[in-house]
Amino acid sequence: MTNERRIGRVAAHGVMITLSVLAIFPVYWMIQSSFRAENEIFSGGLFPSAPTFQNYLHVLSAMPILRILGNTVVMAGATTLAQVATGVLAAWALVRWRFPGGALARSLIALSWLVPFQVVMIPNYVLAARLGLLDSVAGLVIPNAAAAFAVLVLYNAMRGFPREVVEAARMDGAGSLRILLEVVLPNLRAPLASVSILCFISAWNEYFWPLLLIRRMENSVVQIGLQFFMTQEGNDWGPLMAAATLASLPILALYLVLQRQVVDSFMKSGIR
Amino acid sequence: MIRRHFFALALSAAFLAGGFLASAQAQMAQSVDEPVTITFYNYNLASAGLGREATLDLIARFEAANPNVHVEPIAAPSNEVLSRVQADMVAGIEVDVAQLVFRDLIYAANELGAQPLEDLAGDELAAHAAGFVPNGLALGEVDGKTYGLAYVFSTPVMFMNRDLFREAGLDPDQSPRTWEEVKVAGKQIAEKTGKHGFFPGAYGPIDGTFVYQAIVMSNGGGKVRDGNTLTFADKDQADAVVMLRDLMDSGAHARIDVGAHMDTFASGNLGMFLFTSAVLSRFETAAEGKFEVGLAPMPAFGDKPTAPTNSGSAIFMFSQDPVKQRAAWELMKFLTSDEAYSVITSKIGYLPLRLGTLDDPRYLKDWYAANPKFKANVAQLDRLTPNVAFPGPNYRQVENMMKEAVTEAVFGDGDPREVLKKAQDLGQSLMPQD
Amino acid sequence: MTDTTVFAAGAPPRAIPRIRLSTVEPWLYLAPALAVVVLWVYVPLLQAFELSFYQWNMLPRATPRFVGLDNYRNLLGLPDMRQAVVNTILYTIGLLPLSVGIPLAVALVTGNLGGPLRNFYRALIFVPMIVAPIVAAILWRWLLNEDHGLVNAWLAGAGLAKVGFLSDPDVALWTLVWITGWKLIGFSTLLFAAADSAINPTYIEAARMDGASGWQIVRDIRLPLMSPTILLITMMTILFGAQWSFVYINALTGGGPLRSTTNVFHVMWEYGFKTMAAGWSTAAGMLVFVVFGLIALGCLALMRRLAVYDE
Repeated sequence: MTNERRIGRVAAHGVMITLSVLAIFPVYWMIQSSFRAENEIFSGGLFPSAPTFQNYLHVLSAMPILRILGNTVVMAGATTLAQVATGVLAAWALVRWRFPGGALARSLIALSWLVPFQVVMIPNYVLAARLGLLDSVAGLVIPNAAAAFAVLVLYNAMRGFPREVVEAARMDGAGSLRILLEVVLPNLRAPLASVSILCFISAWNEYFWPLLLIRRMENSVVQIGLQFFMTQEGNDWGPLMAAATLASLPILALYLVLQRQVVDSFMKSGIR
Repeated sequence: MIRRHFFALALSAAFLAGGFLASAQAQMAQSVDEPVTITFYNYNLASAGLGREATLDLIARFEAANPNVHVEPIAAPSNEVLSRVQADMVAGIEVDVAQLVFRDLIYAANELGAQPLEDLAGDELAAHAAGFVPNGLALGEVDGKTYGLAYVFSTPVMFMNRDLFREAGLDPDQSPRTWEEVKVAGKQIAEKTGKHGFFPGAYGPIDGTFVYQAIVMSNGGGKVRDGNTLTFADKDQADAVVMLRDLMDSGAHARIDVGAHMDTFASGNLGMFLFTSAVLSRFETAAEGKFEVGLAPMPAFGDKPTAPTNSGSAIFMFSQDPVKQRAAWELMKFLTSDEAYSVITSKIGYLPLRLGTLDDPRYLKDWYAANPKFKANVAQLDRLTPNVAFPGPNYRQVENMMKEAVTEAVFGDGDPREVLKKAQDLGQSLMPQD
Repeated sequence: MTDTTVFAAGAPPRAIPRIRLSTVEPWLYLAPALAVVVLWVYVPLLQAFELSFYQWNMLPRATPRFVGLDNYRNLLGLPDMRQAVVNTILYTIGLLPLSVGIPLAVALVTGNLGGPLRNFYRALIFVPMIVAPIVAAILWRWLLNEDHGLVNAWLAGAGLAKVGFLSDPDVALWTLVWITGWKLIGFSTLLFAAADSAINPTYIEAARMDGASGWQIVRDIRLPLMSPTILLITMMTILFGAQWSFVYINALTGGGPLRSTTNVFHVMWEYGFKTMAAGWSTAAGMLVFVVFGLIALGCLALMRRLAVYDE
């Protein structure tokens, strides 16, 4: 029994290590390339022979990268907040009550996911222009303030929440909003954290809408900024890799912070 | 309730206003006497390199010389700038000057409502164009009128990895002048060095239609369309593609990831690469200390003259207001002036539309002397052949079908002539009717 | 704030017919999400539906021309379409192991490992998620290049033949599947891990007391309770596989070599969305929406029947 277990554990570690290496190698490649001089880019080898910060200096001087990163953090943060908030409320309505039109509302939200962005792009652009949202962070956030993905995942999570607990709170005279905020949400930290991470990343990676909406480099977001190093006349590999590395760091930080939430809630889940 | 009504009215009013203004004919103002702001949609600004710096420099110089005009630059990547211009027009935002690629020429003239420059500034245009390269104005011509002023453009040149030539036992100073010689040299490089012989940047996903058109038109001058009739599968045109297929079958033409052709050359794995000369400075940086980059004019079909075709872009005017038209015209004139080309050519690497700058010590003479490689590029400018754009509402789809067919004809194993014919028949149904 | 005050503050009770609070309340919660979706998705979608029967470039100076079903006919008649449909199915089949199989296994295995190692592995596997899609695309293009790519250098070093990962029509599609999947593994693992951690540990304890083996616990407790998430991600893969891989098709191959990597979304992009013609573009959008919408409704119905909730 113990022997079998040990073999199982070793095998598990072996698989995990292989997968981990596959997962991070390209990222390693991105980082090491960012330290290579332009004529060393294709030289091969696992390490840059003469590491240089030149590419980072170039990125910092060629564009207001810190400002762009700041814009992106604000945009992605606000989008995430909005999507999680609208998602929690909508999911709660769909889980808490059975009501005429509920299934329709759910389908409407779910199916909205399937509408290709390019179809609604021009009408939305016209609307955004009329509302004075061009070239602004608000314009990037508002049309994306609700996400079918967030609603569906939170809906799944809330359905798994024990009904007796909700009923008990209701018997105590708590209103539905209070039950949601004080009873349900504190127990949904893991799904909330993972939905937040994924919403943040998808907002962070948003490309087409900012491409249309943003008119000035200072108001740009990081996906557009990366594109500045890729042109029809080829890529500026070194600076591009440096900018891509800088663009990845904030998400990594967010993941590491929220990952704790996922873990914490696992530790505490014995409570309920 | 009232507010919603108002909103709907405002929407339709804006649409109507656009239509009304377009039909109004106004005379361009003689001068700009009061401060005015014009928008300038530009794709060089959507890069973080020399293109952006040079463009900002040009705009600053223009504003200094024309204190009443303020230029509001709007950056969009080259493959997105047209959608941005169109989206802004739909949204009722004024577009004054835009840099658009040549494939959108007819669309810009007929659908977007670019201003015909002859109607607006006939004599001034003639005087301004006096120093242009032969055919310079023709690059932006639709139905006899100039809509686009050729701006940053280049032609296909043959990049050579001189070290690979030597390694293969070839003399890099004897650059291949005909496709026959390309075939021989390509095979030899592939066989002797184990690297790749030749590749033309003529296929997607990176835009290469101008390279393809240059090859086609070098074979007797036949074009990819004649009026509203597609002709890219006609004999001469198809023969040019069959030649490429023959290079492929012989092993001289590389079979590589078509989206990474520039990297393949930059990493020293390709002997000959036919592409826009605008990438020269990038290649020189990448090759520094690794291999020597050579430059030669594009190859010919036997002794037929080559037809170097323009890549790049022209600038178009969309202003409706007479004063803005004047401001826009002044900007366009400045951007195609001797002074501007000194910046554009020396800093970004595009061709000077005005060859006089190369002999003038005030402009590019010193720079040209220091960059002898550029001669290969300038040498073919007297044969500059305008890129052929497609007409009608489905022009992008038609061009796409042609591009797909050419790629399949060269890389596939079907009969290249049949592949082209099939695409031509299908594409013809999407062309405008006469 | 209690429910009654919310209602009382709304309007004098006599002015409107009395509506029971319970009928209004869910809609209050739904309102923000529905408002966004209706305003920014469905209203433009209706416009798009109308436009799809016209030939127009949306410019105020041009007049729309009614062309009936021509836009749809042109799109469906494209020579690439059949290949694109077949490829779309291949993409979906190829993606499922990467978006569901491996992440599920990782979540289960790391769930068992416990301790800091679990988080370490999960963090590493998550890393591809943080790379911008376009950067992921060009990184893999570089690594997999036949001439200057590391992978082929290693293959050659190991005495194996070089592989044209993106230039060989037989291989390119699977290369794109791998790149798409590589980005997805972290995403799915995160969702599976969250679902796994939400399982009430008393169930597992009880089963263990009854002498159930690790595998039995997985089969009888953990997998069934993770089923809503498993089904959700499976459904997402089916519905969005084409769109997810589109990013990489567009950045890397443009559908080639020899159309071997094109899929329905890419064809729609090439001939519809990317062009300046509103008719083509909206017709392409309606096709994508209706076809995948029907598949989605089927999936949702299936999900309701298959999912197990801890109720």
